[in-house]
Amino acid sequence: MTDLAGAGPRPHRVDGKPDAKDGNKPAEFVPGQPDMWAFVLFEALVFTSYFVVYMIFRTRSPELYLQSQAHLSLRIGVFETLVLLVSSWSMARCVQAARQGAYRSALTNALLTMFLGVVFLVAKVFEWTRLIRMGFGFSSNEFFSHYFFLTGIHFLHLLIGFVAVGVIVYQLRSPARRSQELVETGATYWHTVDFLWIVIFALLYVVR
Amino acid sequence: MNALIKKRLLVVWLVLASITLVYLWVGSVDPASAVRPSAVVTSSAIVMALIKVRIIFREFMETRHAPVLLRRLTDGWVVLMAVCLLGSYFFGMAIR
Repeated sequence: MTDLAGAGPRPHRVDGKPDAKDGNKPAEFVPGQPDMWAFVLFEALVFTSYFVVYMIFRTRSPELYLQSQAHLSLRIGVFETLVLLVSSWSMARCVQAARQGAYRSALTNALLTMFLGVVFLVAKVFEWTRLIRMGFGFSSNEFFSHYFFLTGIHFLHLLIGFVAVGVIVYQLRSPARRSQELVETGATYWHTVDFLWIVIFALLYVVR
Repeated sequence: MNALIKKRLLVVWLVLASITLVYLWVGSVDPASAVRPSAVVTSSAIVMALIKVRIIFREFMETRHAPVLLRRLTDGWVVLMAVCLLGSYFFGMAIR
């Protein structure tokens, strides 16, 4: 356990902010393990390179990308984004509840997060199936290669997110195992999966 | 859970969801006309996405309480994304 993150519930003021060290401003802290933040920033840079490659290829043949993009359902994409945003909200509630010792509420929110993750996966599989039935696969054209690669690698990250939330649920179920640092670490990973999807959605479904 | 924190998280989610719903308008296409590249739609989509990402960093991932180094790294990535995505789009469209 690091001093920065702390293992037990963080002290909080009535307004929910961490206690001030100097009485003027809230105490600073790294949410979760710093190693997870290093991983998150590394992943963010890797995805940045994927996004730049996609944008460069897109500008080389915009007509092909626009025609292919027209086969995607913007409404399904918006629905998937909203589902992941609710999951991030429930995960943030889980962290706050655990920090204040409300472990039952934290556990409920963690399980809700997992459920919403499953809803996203089902929606994504439905969307892939719909496109494949329409005759579009990974090798159909350049746009769909990017589409299936980006959504596929995001899908994989979401599956890993279930392991992170699973660890949180395992921790919260027993007083002997509870660690606020691990709850925050798992939450940091889950939010990363969410914000990466937000960019993927904008680039694949909306950008023209 | 503290009522103020609950309320703040709800407001944050409502803002994020509202921006997401704006995509239904920004990304809608008139079926009667041919779809053309649009710098306005592209810029709006990227800027809205990055605003949402920054809100998630600060509110859900709690970087607003983080040490300055972590705040600068996360904000720096958002700026880097804006430069890379908008830069590659406009540069690519200019040289094609």
